[in-house]
Amino acid sequence: MQPIKFLGILLLVSSLVALGGTACGPTAPAEKVITIGQYADAVSLDPQDTNDNASYSIEKPMLEGLIGFNEKMEQIPQLAERWEASPDAKVYTFYLRKGVKFHDGTPFNAAAVKANFDRIRNPDNKLKRYTLYKIISQIDVIDEYTVRFTLAGPFGAMIATFAHPAGGINSPTAVEKYGKEYGKNPVGTGPYKFVEWVPNDHITLVKNPDYWDKANGPKVDKIIVKPVPEAGTRIAMLQKGDAQFINTVPYAQAETVKGDKNLNLVATESIYTFWVSMNVQKKPFDNLKVRQALNYAIDKEAIIKAVLRGYGKPANSPVAPLVWGHAPAKTYPYDPAKAKALLAEAGYPNGFKTTLRGAESTEAKEVMVAIQGQLKQVGVEAEVISLPSATLSAERFKPLAENTGEIDYSGWSPSTGDADWAIRPLLTKENWPPTNYTIGFYTHPKVEELVKTALQTSDAAKRKAAYAEVQQIIMDDCPWIVLWVNYVLGGSRANVGGIAIQPDGIGFYRSVYYK
Amino acid sequence: MPPVYLLTYLLAPMLRYILRRLLYMIPIVFGVSIVVFLILHLVPGDPARLVAGPDATLEDVEIIRSSLGLDRPLPVQYVSWMGSLLHGDLGRSARTHRPVTHELGLTIPATVELTLAAMAIAVFIGVGAGTIAAVRRNSFFDYSSMVVALMGVCTPSFWLGLMLMLVFAVKLDLFPTIGRGGLDHLVLPAVTLGAGAAAIIARVTRSSMLEVLNMDYIRTAHAKGLTAQTVVLRHAVKNAFIPVITVIGLEFGYLLAGAVVTETVFAYPGVGRLLVEAIGYRDYPVIQGSLLLLALQFALVNLAVDVLYVFFDPRISYGTK
Repeated sequence: MQPIKFLGILLLVSSLVALGGTACGPTAPAEKVITIGQYADAVSLDPQDTNDNASYSIEKPMLEGLIGFNEKMEQIPQLAERWEASPDAKVYTFYLRKGVKFHDGTPFNAAAVKANFDRIRNPDNKLKRYTLYKIISQIDVIDEYTVRFTLAGPFGAMIATFAHPAGGINSPTAVEKYGKEYGKNPVGTGPYKFVEWVPNDHITLVKNPDYWDKANGPKVDKIIVKPVPEAGTRIAMLQKGDAQFINTVPYAQAETVKGDKNLNLVATESIYTFWVSMNVQKKPFDNLKVRQALNYAIDKEAIIKAVLRGYGKPANSPVAPLVWGHAPAKTYPYDPAKAKALLAEAGYPNGFKTTLRGAESTEAKEVMVAIQGQLKQVGVEAEVISLPSATLSAERFKPLAENTGEIDYSGWSPSTGDADWAIRPLLTKENWPPTNYTIGFYTHPKVEELVKTALQTSDAAKRKAAYAEVQQIIMDDCPWIVLWVNYVLGGSRANVGGIAIQPDGIGFYRSVYYK
Repeated sequence: MPPVYLLTYLLAPMLRYILRRLLYMIPIVFGVSIVVFLILHLVPGDPARLVAGPDATLEDVEIIRSSLGLDRPLPVQYVSWMGSLLHGDLGRSARTHRPVTHELGLTIPATVELTLAAMAIAVFIGVGAGTIAAVRRNSFFDYSSMVVALMGVCTPSFWLGLMLMLVFAVKLDLFPTIGRGGLDHLVLPAVTLGAGAAAIIARVTRSSMLEVLNMDYIRTAHAKGLTAQTVVLRHAVKNAFIPVITVIGLEFGYLLAGAVVTETVFAYPGVGRLLVEAIGYRDYPVIQGSLLLLALQFALVNLAVDVLYVFFDPRISYGTK
């Protein structure tokens, strides 16, 4: 019995110590710490080797680009004070901010910028964002603070591409020093510096007291990001105060956060458009009347209310309103009678059978079941096929001959914030699977032409006009059932401000403060 | 003979047995490696595409495919993986580029810690409740504890975890909500994980005890005038324990591999979460490495159970021909 008693006492004492440690800490001036519960851990902290929002959310407070986005997805000067584009969209000159230093003391200058883009555009480095910048053919250091990029061909969306989070500038000294391990040791110029990363547990950032922009410097001492995959758990953390912000809040739990006086729901209109892509190379979707009929058959408002709990609005274009180049085109009102009539005209008076493919998340399933029910009202029997993401991606990226997809529920956010990336990968022939995401195998001669025209110039007005025409064609020709633009939801403690989720789904953590 | 040698002499057959069982593990692990490798490559899903992300162009995907070595023929991939394995190198994660041994080194201790705590709770509650229920058969305690045990088996750990968190962390503020840290971090996840196992152990203990308590030697022990406590604790429990040990061993193995849900709910950095995430991204090196290690753990736990049998039932012996 003696050893057991001893063990019992030991357990009791150690648990008391553990509890005491958390309950009554030292009373030194409290460090301002913000803990964030995020839906996933980072994959890499090297922006050039990142393609997921969870990683970008954590990189952004540390690494800044030449150009950044404000909360409305408008481009703002960051490490470049200003820039010029040649009219033929081939030469871009950046005038850099002076007196900026990386966290490791390396001076920020034209040579550093050149080193960054030379690294990413070299295919031997096998970085995930290589193709974004491979069009750069030459980089010239004009003087200490001026750098000029020359492209292999005209590319009108290049400024937006520099604003892409992959354009975050890394310390060339650190890249050299850490080599392949740089993604675990990021060094930038931002308001927060990297401290440590314990995978699947937490990432810690501390404030950069020497940040160049005094007016927008760090307002807390430390930011700790913890990966918390389960939404219910994130909300419990927020309620208890173990987290001051959570990314994200599912629509189903929005009311819980909203109804709690200690918490704020932080909703942001996103640049995500959701749609059902139809395989236009297959019958009956090659028929315009069928495609129009399906657009009239879906009651978007009803699904937004039921599944998105109101956090969305019907889309009037394939390009979301906050994307540069958005032009409202049209919406298809809910009109099942008209849908039936169109189906009859197309030769399907009794409808037809099809499959509706999509992800297996609760939200995607709810949307698909709602669509299934509404299609049934007009005689179209859709079988819902929900697939785990790996299988779904394998199915979607099959080339036309092997692709069994008919109609497919999906969504897209153009991470450059530019209409080019909201249209070209999704609706042009050179981007049919397996190349990219034109999963409905759509092509339209005028769209192909306009998309190219818009890239031949850096003239904003000309580009906007081309994209406006494209958006009108897409809405008239309807290769998709265009559904809605959603809101992305985060939750914060009521005493915390300056933190949200950006329209592109990336966390905006750098301005967080205690009220 | 000095006592040390005497001990070695007595234990020698057992040691030989353990050594032999350890050698048997080599073909088991080898077999697991082939099966896992083949199944992974047969399941649809392209790791290069998944690593590259949804908006990657085919060119990006191909660059990543070659950097992952997935453009080589399957047998070449297997042999190269096996070759590094023999040097103790499990490769690097396709997604995070971290060495798999590093990923496992971070997560396995966390999972073992959680599993041990959960098993301690499960054995304490399960054996205790099962034994009392058997001794006081058909009493209120018997009925109520077995109903609770039935509920324990049926309760999804997902729901139980969130409920415990809401009550004991959010409302009562007794424990932290998530993560790994001191003992206080361990309590809620361990209870969540151990609840199901406790229930199963309680039911097995009860039925095994009932069988033993009806035996003649127990009646003899009572007749000898031994106290009820001595009869139960010294005579009955030891004999009733073989099936209980078997169940404990099995549950232990399952918990090591199956803490996925609990780890997800409590954002606990364990191997279950690592594995499930890796499967989602078809991160072959991580899946292969963790499954190999889990198979090895399972085999070791089984061996430990077999060795424990001898302790509880001296009639069982190994190695002596």
